[in-house]
Amino acid sequence: MTLTEKPQGPRTSTIPPEMRSGSLRPPLPWRRKVLLVIAAVYAVAVVWAIGRTGLSITALFEGYGDFRRLLDRMLPIEFRNLSQIIRLAFETFFMAFIGTAVAVVISVPLAFFAARNTTPSVFLSGPARGFIVAMRAIPDLIFALIFVRAIGIGVLAGILAIGLSAIGMVAKLYADAIEQIDEGPREAILATGASQVRAILTGVIPQVLPSFIGIALFRLDINFRTSTILGYVGAGGIGTLLQLYLSGLQYRKALGVVAVIVVLVLAVEFISAAIRKGILGADPHSHKRLSHRIAGLFPGGKGRGNVAAQAEAASRASFNRETLRPPWTRDRRRMAIFGWGSLAVLVYAFWSTRLSPVRLFTSFGEIFVVATRLVPRDLSWLSSVVVRGMVETFAIAIAATTIGLLISFPLAFLCARNVAPARWVYYFGRSLLVMNRALPDLIIAVLFVSAVGLGPFPGVMALSIGTVGFATKLLADSIEEVSQGPRDAVTAAGTTRLQEAFTGVSPQAMPAFVSTALYIVDINIRSSTILGIVGAGGIGFSLIQATRTLNWELVGGILILVFAMVYSIERLSGWVRKQLL
Amino acid sequence: MQLSGDVVRLRGVRKEFDQGRVVALDSVDLDIHAGELTVLIGLSGSGKSTLLRHLNKLHVPTTGTVEVLGQPVADLSGANLRALRRDVGFIFQQFNIVGRLSCLENVLSGALGRLRGPRYGVLSYPKSMRREALELLDRVGLGDRAFQRSDTLSGGQQQRVAIARTVMQKPKLVLADEPVASLDPEISGQVMDLLFRICTEENLSVICSLHQVDLALGWAKRLVGLRDGQVVLDKPAEGLSTEDVMAVYKRLDPTGTKQNEYEPAMAARGS
Ligand SMILES: Nc1ncnc2c1ncn2[C@@H]1O[C@H](COP(=O)(O)OP(=O)(O)O)[C@@H](O)[C@H]1O
Ligand SMILES: [Mg+2]
Repeated sequence: MTLTEKPQGPRTSTIPPEMRSGSLRPPLPWRRKVLLVIAAVYAVAVVWAIGRTGLSITALFEGYGDFRRLLDRMLPIEFRNLSQIIRLAFETFFMAFIGTAVAVVISVPLAFFAARNTTPSVFLSGPARGFIVAMRAIPDLIFALIFVRAIGIGVLAGILAIGLSAIGMVAKLYADAIEQIDEGPREAILATGASQVRAILTGVIPQVLPSFIGIALFRLDINFRTSTILGYVGAGGIGTLLQLYLSGLQYRKALGVVAVIVVLVLAVEFISAAIRKGILGADPHSHKRLSHRIAGLFPGGKGRGNVAAQAEAASRASFNRETLRPPWTRDRRRMAIFGWGSLAVLVYAFWSTRLSPVRLFTSFGEIFVVATRLVPRDLSWLSSVVVRGMVETFAIAIAATTIGLLISFPLAFLCARNVAPARWVYYFGRSLLVMNRALPDLIIAVLFVSAVGLGPFPGVMALSIGTVGFATKLLADSIEEVSQGPRDAVTAAGTTRLQEAFTGVSPQAMPAFVSTALYIVDINIRSSTILGIVGAGGIGFSLIQATRTLNWELVGGILILVFAMVYSIERLSGWVRKQLL
Repeated sequence: MQLSGDVVRLRGVRKEFDQGRVVALDSVDLDIHAGELTVLIGLSGSGKSTLLRHLNKLHVPTTGTVEVLGQPVADLSGANLRALRRDVGFIFQQFNIVGRLSCLENVLSGALGRLRGPRYGVLSYPKSMRREALELLDRVGLGDRAFQRSDTLSGGQQQRVAIARTVMQKPKLVLADEPVASLDPEISGQVMDLLFRICTEENLSVICSLHQVDLALGWAKRLVGLRDGQVVLDKPAEGLSTEDVMAVYKRLDPTGTKQNEYEPAMAARGS
């Protein structure tokens, strides 16, 4: 039979009458309108923020000249006192390690209280969640500033600062991991008549353990970056030297310290990633998924490693049938080495930093006393200086986020394996990103302040550069996850690469783009509150003055303002995200 | 359009994957005549998708030559390749529409080859094209869904959007790779009717891979059977019996399983 014989009934148009003419604009529901208003307000805010932070083409050129001059004074690089640098570098690592351990020890019970499915009572989960949110809102350097005054100069202040601020992330992710477990095993154990605690030990812990370890290692990585700068405010570690050399105008030695920091950050990131891979299984994406989860972008998987391979290895391994001890499979060996190894490093870290665990414990009492003094009794601390500082902080964050993201978006396409125009572009871009991220934001800020002087301008520059490194990585990772099918279809229509990137890739990655951009806004608001501590503008300057004069009420007042700003931006971006996804 | 001549000419085409461990196509010679409706049949893994993907250079042959619309595909690159792809529409089993975009924008994306520069959002396309795209959506019966997000549609509707997108391209040749394999039989019939009717109305040459032998025999002018990358049947559909066709499908390996075309390596390892 041929085609023309097919019955062809009269067809009625499916086009709705209102669309039969006119220019076919997409409908605009009220949520879209609100978003457009927010976008317009944001655009105005950006223009204002750029003016407020003194950013301009001429400023950029002058800044470039200043930076060249700083580089001239920094070169050739000088490694005087290398043994001292190395000793302090190890001290830095041990601070980060103990700090991470403190965070994990506090986070585990906190997470079980906070998680909806394991909390003993809603009266406990509420406060637990509140505490976690508060720890997340206050930047680590602010903690360090306060603790240096409260407990004295040295590593203990640094450790506590790292430990407490890490709780904000670690406990939150632990609670998320607990809430994602498979409830079956726990119910089965409860059904045998076991108590809740036992059911958690047997039915929950084994499920979340890999995630817990992965998150802790990831945080160790972050903590190490942070701890390199803590010495700048007297909280121990290699930052002490940086501060010493920069204030003494010994720029060559300062650059030597910076170089050591870069190398160490890269080394720690590399080792932490290798251990994560070794323990959590050879899934090449586990790291990527983890970093996504940390960005709060996607609900995570359960991080169980390669279960089938484990089972096979266990069935092959021989074991003593008398004692019935579990066989030493490769995974069990790895776990044991990791567990005992971590413990050994921890003991050595305490010994090496001459920190007694008892002192660590009692310091929590001192922190508590200071915390009570932080509560402002009235509003006398609220001066125009404080208000101006907060406004400037906000301006820095907005300007830096916008500049950073404007650079990151195109860059991310070049750094995504599946979109990059050539292999070498991808490798080149990714190596630049790794180098960029190896320099902690605040160290960039310190260098910029040395180059162009105090003020918000170096802050914006430093934060923009840091944003590029971090955002580009997250964006490129999400571009690598788009599915190939729709891209093939768009390509098959005869598009150019650029057209395909806009139509085939971008819409697929859009939810991740939105989440990343909003996440960057969040962390930049936080970061910009501490830039002032190194002289790069914003409220941090008032904060460091207030701690120097032991004006605890002012410190507390500023903390409340910081918390309010961070929290309200977080809520707003959460709402925007929900509308866009 | 001239109704004589060949739109596709394959000579000794061989395609290897994974450094020669998988031979997907093996010395394939094939001529497809203009204006004809050719149906490709064959078991999963017999090389149907691979063959079709050679015709717009989503794959390049390991050896042999591929000529499409009179041009040697291997030599094409840049603007020339894009021009060829514009003339060759492709319809995928997995629909491959961009889920987060509206139906209208998906159809509009078919016109990208006719436009310069990247586009984002319905409003970035010229007004006349928006109208054209809406009319095509109407032709596939989805005129009322223009601004609905395409991932909220059913499978059959998504494939209809994909058909409209392909027609938007104004192609001369349409390749359809198991366009209804993910759909239930009733919807499959409707979608195939729609596809073939539009292609006939537009006087397009069509190569379509299909598993439904009844549909194939009902619509096709010519049947080409593949097995293990080789052409084992190439006859006019008229006079072919269902048994002749089913012979192509006889399984040599009873454990053969359907593979996801984007994870062929994994599927191969699993089986
Ligand atoms: N990109 C690829 N990489 C490796 N092997 C592939 C790839 N694409 C297809 N193959 C293999 O080529 C053979 C033919 O596959 P395909 O053309 O998809 O078959 P069909 O479409 O007929 O089901 C299969 O063995 C498949 O595993
Ligand atoms: Mg196929």
